[in-house]
Amino acid sequence: MQDLLGNLAMGFGVALSLQNIGLCFIGCALGTAIGVLPGIGPLPTVALLLPFTFSLDPTGALIMLAGVFYGAQYGGSTTAILARLPGETSSVVTCLDGYAMALKGQAGTALALAAIGSLLAGMVTTLLIAAAGPPLADIALLFHSADYVSVMVLGLISAVVMAHGSVLKALLMILLGLLLGSVGTDVATGEYRFTLGLDMLADGIGFVPISMGLFGLAEIMINLENRGGRGVIAKAVGSLWPPLAVLRQALPAMLRGTAIGAGFGIMPGGGPTIASFSAYSLEKKMAAQPARFGHGAVEGVAAPEAANNAATQSCFIPMLCLGIPPNALMALMVGAMMVHGIQPGPSIITKQPELFWGMIASMAVGNIILVILNLPLIGIWVRLLQVPYAYLFPAIIVFCAVGTYTVDNSTGDVVLMAVFGVLGYVFRKLDCEPAPLMLGLVLGPLLEENFRRAMVLADGDVTIFVTRPISLGFLLAAAALLAAVLLPSIRRGRQEAFRE
Amino acid sequence: MHRRTLLGATAMLALPRLARAASFPDGPITLIVAWPAGGGSDVSMRLVAEAASKRLGVPVVVENRPGAAGTIGHRAIAAARPDGQTIGMVSQDAISAQYGNANAPAMSEFEPLAFFGEEPGALQVHPSTGITTLAQYIERAKANPGKIRNGGNPAPGASYLYMAYYERKLGIRVTKVSYAGYAPTVTALLSGEVDSASVPVPDVVEYHKEGRLKLLAVAGEERHFMAPDVPTFRELGHDVVIGGWRSLAAPVGVPADRLAVLRRELFAAFRDPELQAKARQAGFVMSPGDAARTAAAWAESDTGVYPILDELGLVKARRKQG
Repeated sequence: MQDLLGNLAMGFGVALSLQNIGLCFIGCALGTAIGVLPGIGPLPTVALLLPFTFSLDPTGALIMLAGVFYGAQYGGSTTAILARLPGETSSVVTCLDGYAMALKGQAGTALALAAIGSLLAGMVTTLLIAAAGPPLADIALLFHSADYVSVMVLGLISAVVMAHGSVLKALLMILLGLLLGSVGTDVATGEYRFTLGLDMLADGIGFVPISMGLFGLAEIMINLENRGGRGVIAKAVGSLWPPLAVLRQALPAMLRGTAIGAGFGIMPGGGPTIASFSAYSLEKKMAAQPARFGHGAVEGVAAPEAANNAATQSCFIPMLCLGIPPNALMALMVGAMMVHGIQPGPSIITKQPELFWGMIASMAVGNIILVILNLPLIGIWVRLLQVPYAYLFPAIIVFCAVGTYTVDNSTGDVVLMAVFGVLGYVFRKLDCEPAPLMLGLVLGPLLEENFRRAMVLADGDVTIFVTRPISLGFLLAAAALLAAVLLPSIRRGRQEAFRE
Repeated sequence: MHRRTLLGATAMLALPRLARAASFPDGPITLIVAWPAGGGSDVSMRLVAEAASKRLGVPVVVENRPGAAGTIGHRAIAAARPDGQTIGMVSQDAISAQYGNANAPAMSEFEPLAFFGEEPGALQVHPSTGITTLAQYIERAKANPGKIRNGGNPAPGASYLYMAYYERKLGIRVTKVSYAGYAPTVTALLSGEVDSASVPVPDVVEYHKEGRLKLLAVAGEERHFMAPDVPTFRELGHDVVIGGWRSLAAPVGVPADRLAVLRRELFAAFRDPELQAKARQAGFVMSPGDAARTAAAWAESDTGVYPILDELGLVKARRKQG
């Protein structure tokens, strides 16, 4: 305990230097900006910033780059709530209830809940890293390919729970997502699959064009059809600060979201996306009236937003404590360290204590900066909802097109976005939720890669999934979740049958 | 009226450019990297871009065009306007790609400019295997063919080829397990999911020092400066030298005078002690070479890699006769 306080004091000493506060602020501000802009994610931004950090000291450089990453999680919810545009994969679920709240004139409340949830999650997770980082990091080394498979299965099942309406349709959407995810280069043999001879599809269908199309463009089409392009999204903007009753309702959800997020963040392959989907499903299962979800449930915004921020921060644990990057962005951070001559590995804590504790302390500083930065902005964002459709829609389409293009400098992706816009419209007409499809698309390639690897390692013995305790645990959880969804509808079906 | 004024203005803007076309380079040079930002190729080329822009007197801008195992970026280099304003990084992977994918450009579509350096392959094991020397590794693999699980890239990625090469040269057989890059491979080795891995030294050296894994040998001509305690395969009596390399290339068709400028200045930039120091700090072994050295490296790599690819059934395009 004495050590912890001493280390934290040293960390804050580093993080609170004028230069590092400045760098943290720049990182957070940039992160918020790219989070708000659809398409441009934290990954390319950090990559672009990397050369500019060559001249900085490594601690300052990493503080700034980390700020971009978790700042993007704050900003990512903004467009999800205001325009049903998920800026990042992890904000897909926020679209569901966040946008529904905006339609009811509660956009301000939704944005404030997202910010408060993120702050709470960020602070709790920072404390967790400081207190228990190194032992927790070893969890990442307990996971083998078979265990990842079971984690992904649990993630996919949670998407069934979250969808409102037909379970069958949700399952079909997941399968469709998995199929779309199988486009691209075969992970084991390097063979091209379903690429239609286009190099553009060799790496699979990107997340950005699909989400822009399915969510953003489809929403615009539905709006034009319903209201003929006149009017505004929400007439009444309502109060910006959530009423006490709402906060009281959201707080337990935020805490549960934080716990789920912190857990999934440490696991390699987990990360903010599965965390936010799982947090949403848990809230929906626990709620007294699950039917509220999808129509502006407060917990449906608070829990996933807390979860994605907690996961964003806890995925630094394996990176900082072991040098193991659990996702592509952490791999970039490892790259940034190597440029500065720091070899990633468990020795960072002992050899570079200023860097380790300075970064942890900077996360606490950064979360506070982000809230200060974001709360006043809410008033401005909300006013966007009063911009008439005639101006707002063309602007959104331009943003989507530019955002999609900049990911890979590919015009093909813009065409893809348009195609998925039409598909999204069809899905809406058929009452099919696009969120499960997105999760299938994101997890599909990972699921396949790990499944095939697990099979190679186990010589084709499928019992590996039930003989490994971690894997068995996740599979049982998935089975329980599926049973919890299916049983009520089966019972209802039987009751109906009895009535006849 | 309005439009005509605009057109006139554009024409006037274009005039001085035409007049100055004789001077080269004219404006920023684009350096295409066929790999995502933040990886080894990207980091090394951003360091190069900084040094090269000092020599060439114009900004050198790195443009990442990742995708399809480098094919998208390599094609972008080969298909760029041959005016010398666009160059790119060509690595070992371009050699493999031309045989695996008919869409990938052939090496004959590139003009060699300068040679950056080589990154030798290596071999490392998890401590739980009980193996501490290369001899023990070979013995274990020979006694139990296919039982040792080795982590690496999917075929025909670099660390896959290294292992395939070790297998041929050492007369052993292991089970090759694919991971999407070095970072997940190292994680899998640390967790003991695989018994060994064939990734280069910079990615594993810290874990080697910590005793979390053991580097058995390096496939370079000499020992790696970051792990001076690890012997080379040659020292241990096995003629195994294989590695990846990075070089700069231009599309075919760049005028000879411009090509000469690029070759001279880029080779000079590579020899800049400041660049070498920075590269070394980041873990790169630089061995600068001119255009002739580059062409030789391409040819040498081609002869070395082709039979391996052929044996693996990975030659699907541009099959060599005989």
